[in-house]
Amino acid sequence: MAAAKSSWAITSYWTDRPLAFKGLVVVALPLGILFGALISLYLASNAESRAEDDVRRAFAIQRDTYQVHALLAEAAAGVRGYVLTSQSRFLEPYRKAEAELPATMERLDAEIRDAEVRQRFERIRQATVRKREGLKKIVALAGTPAVRSSNAIAIEEALISNKIVLDGMRREIENIQRRERVLLDQRQAKVDEVRNRFLLLTAISAMIGLLGSLAAVYLFSTGIVRRVRTLEHNAELLARGEALTAMPDDADEIGTLGQRMDRASALLRAREQALRDSEERFRLVIEGVRDYGIFVLDPDGVVVSWNFGAERIKGWTAEEILGQHFSRFYPEETRNYLPSKMLERASEAGTAEDEGWRIRKDGSRFWANVVITALYDDRGDLRGFAKVTRDMTERRRSEEALRIAREEAVAASLAKSEFLSRTSHELRTPLSAILGFGQLLELDEEQFSPRHQEAVHQIMKAGRHLLSLINDLLDISSIEAGGTEVSTEDVDMSELLQEVHAFASPIVASASLQFVLDLPAPNLVALADRRRATQVVLNLVANAAKYNRSGTLVRLSCRSLNDMVQVLVEDDGEGIDPSDIPRLFTPFDRLGQQTRAKVEGTGLGLALSKRLVESMHGEIGFDAREKGACFWFTLPAAKAIKEDENPCQPD
Amino acid sequence: MPARLISNKELLSRRILAIDDEETNVLLLANVLDREGYRDVHCLTNPEEALEMYIKLSPDLVLLDLMMPKVDGFQLLEAFSRHDQPDEFRPVLVLTADTTLQTRRRALALGAKDFVAKPFDVIEVALRISNLLETRILYERLRQG
Repeated sequence: MAAAKSSWAITSYWTDRPLAFKGLVVVALPLGILFGALISLYLASNAESRAEDDVRRAFAIQRDTYQVHALLAEAAAGVRGYVLTSQSRFLEPYRKAEAELPATMERLDAEIRDAEVRQRFERIRQATVRKREGLKKIVALAGTPAVRSSNAIAIEEALISNKIVLDGMRREIENIQRRERVLLDQRQAKVDEVRNRFLLLTAISAMIGLLGSLAAVYLFSTGIVRRVRTLEHNAELLARGEALTAMPDDADEIGTLGQRMDRASALLRAREQALRDSEERFRLVIEGVRDYGIFVLDPDGVVVSWNFGAERIKGWTAEEILGQHFSRFYPEETRNYLPSKMLERASEAGTAEDEGWRIRKDGSRFWANVVITALYDDRGDLRGFAKVTRDMTERRRSEEALRIAREEAVAASLAKSEFLSRTSHELRTPLSAILGFGQLLELDEEQFSPRHQEAVHQIMKAGRHLLSLINDLLDISSIEAGGTEVSTEDVDMSELLQEVHAFASPIVASASLQFVLDLPAPNLVALADRRRATQVVLNLVANAAKYNRSGTLVRLSCRSLNDMVQVLVEDDGEGIDPSDIPRLFTPFDRLGQQTRAKVEGTGLGLALSKRLVESMHGEIGFDAREKGACFWFTLPAAKAIKEDENPCQPD
Repeated sequence: MPARLISNKELLSRRILAIDDEETNVLLLANVLDREGYRDVHCLTNPEEALEMYIKLSPDLVLLDLMMPKVDGFQLLEAFSRHDQPDEFRPVLVLTADTTLQTRRRALALGAKDFVAKPFDVIEVALRISNLLETRILYERLRQG
């Protein structure tokens, strides 16, 4: 477990290093091992050459010691011969020894390293010096025959001591030789050992080098190649829009790249999902639309998509219609030119709208509103057309019905106006003869008997009543038919009341009543039709005069009431029975007709007044008084009156 | 009555043409004019003959009904004003039962000089007739200079 963990830690440490570091390690590892192997090789070869040097030196020491001994032995033998013979030719070896010994000794001195050998060599050097001095003494003693004989004993002694010295030296040399042999053996062994070690080292180096290369390859593989392959695979998956193979969150470039790719993939998939969801929603909405046929055409006009609404309106199912040209929705008379014209217009202007007859699968026609929209891709190439069709048959039918109804109403209204106009003419023409001739008779009445005079009066009275009846009736009808137009203007109520007062004074006076006029403020202005307003006031005043039999006055006044102007006509007569009030403004409902048979009137005055006031957006009403009656009506007040404006009434 | 520039005799000798498709109306007008003392009065009930008579008689005043079959008063008003010289003052008094504002405006715009609603007051009509004739006579005097 711990090992696994630590190995994981190492792996993680390795993968987390940057690529440059990994590359350095992978290249440096075999190089380092190679370099180490070369150093060890160099060291081994150095050691071997040093060991061989030692061996060579041992041989040189051996040789030189032998030579020292040989030179001295031969010199001693020569000296002895010289002593015996006195012939100087025996001194030859001695001279040779004298000449060569110093150089040989020096060589030895330089070569010797071993301490024990040097000790012995020092002794040999002293022995050599003594030997040479001994030989020199002997040669001097035996220089002349005379001397020689006298020095025979001394020579003998000298020879003996020389011999002792030489023997000692020989012993030393043998010791040295022995020592050198030991040393030589040791060095030989060392050389062998170094060589063996070198071989071993080489083999180990080779092994390590091999392992290092393998390690480098392994590291390269685990750290880079395998992960790059995963990355490549992931890139392919990314391109295909599939889920990526999970990669550990390593800190190096590949790891970062992997994570980025992972994030990009997640983002891409989220977007794709959102797009798919949105498309799905959109598709569901489009497919679910019932009242609109929505379908898509390719650039040539072939149907490539079809919704439920289209199926409902046109009758074809998607399977039946996909792949067909859309011109089959058009009736024969337009099929040849309209479809191509619509596409042309749509591709030129972006959209084309049309309203007209189309045919269903069963051949029946329907009135359609069609909008064709050209669809372009990002590069601006035409991809096709979206077509939205709406069945307007019902609407067209109701529009048609509405149009007919409107036309009928207009015709009816025209007919009514025409009727009114004709009636007016037809009724007035004979009446005008009656009244005209009656008036002529009236003008000549002094020529008639009283009975005939009375007859003429009655004809005229009835004729005038009939005329006012016709006038009121036509007025009401024409207002109800909307035939007479209302021309509203600013009407100064003070002026209007004064006019009415002047005009109606004789009527009021003839009823023996006082006509009281309460003038309003001069700036009380109503928005009204002057003629109609005057007519209403006159009507009310005439009524008040007519019906006030017991009172003494008629009062005409006007006041401002909120946004309205109120005109009041009051009298102090009998008033009106409360039960009659609801029927006041009903046509031909003259109140108390039975009891007040003497009162003239058409019974249309209040009804007409009501219609006139209402046509000017006012109200008419009645208020009971303690004594008498109060009729009033309102008119909209004019919004603003200029101070300096002083409207002048034409006569 | 104020002093008059024109003698009664001159006034009453003037020629008047009354046009109405209703015989009763024409008769009434004839009676009114007769009672006033006009002597040169011509009556016509067929409006198709109106222009011909107008040209033939060259009346000083025309009494014209508007609502007539075949040729109505408006057409006649147009025809009369087309026929007359521009500086001629030959008044037309329109007598009609159609008292709507539009009709009055239209008739006056087409050259009618006065307008009386039917049924009319006999005295009023007589006064308007004499007024119009007086105006014509004064106009003639002005032209003659």
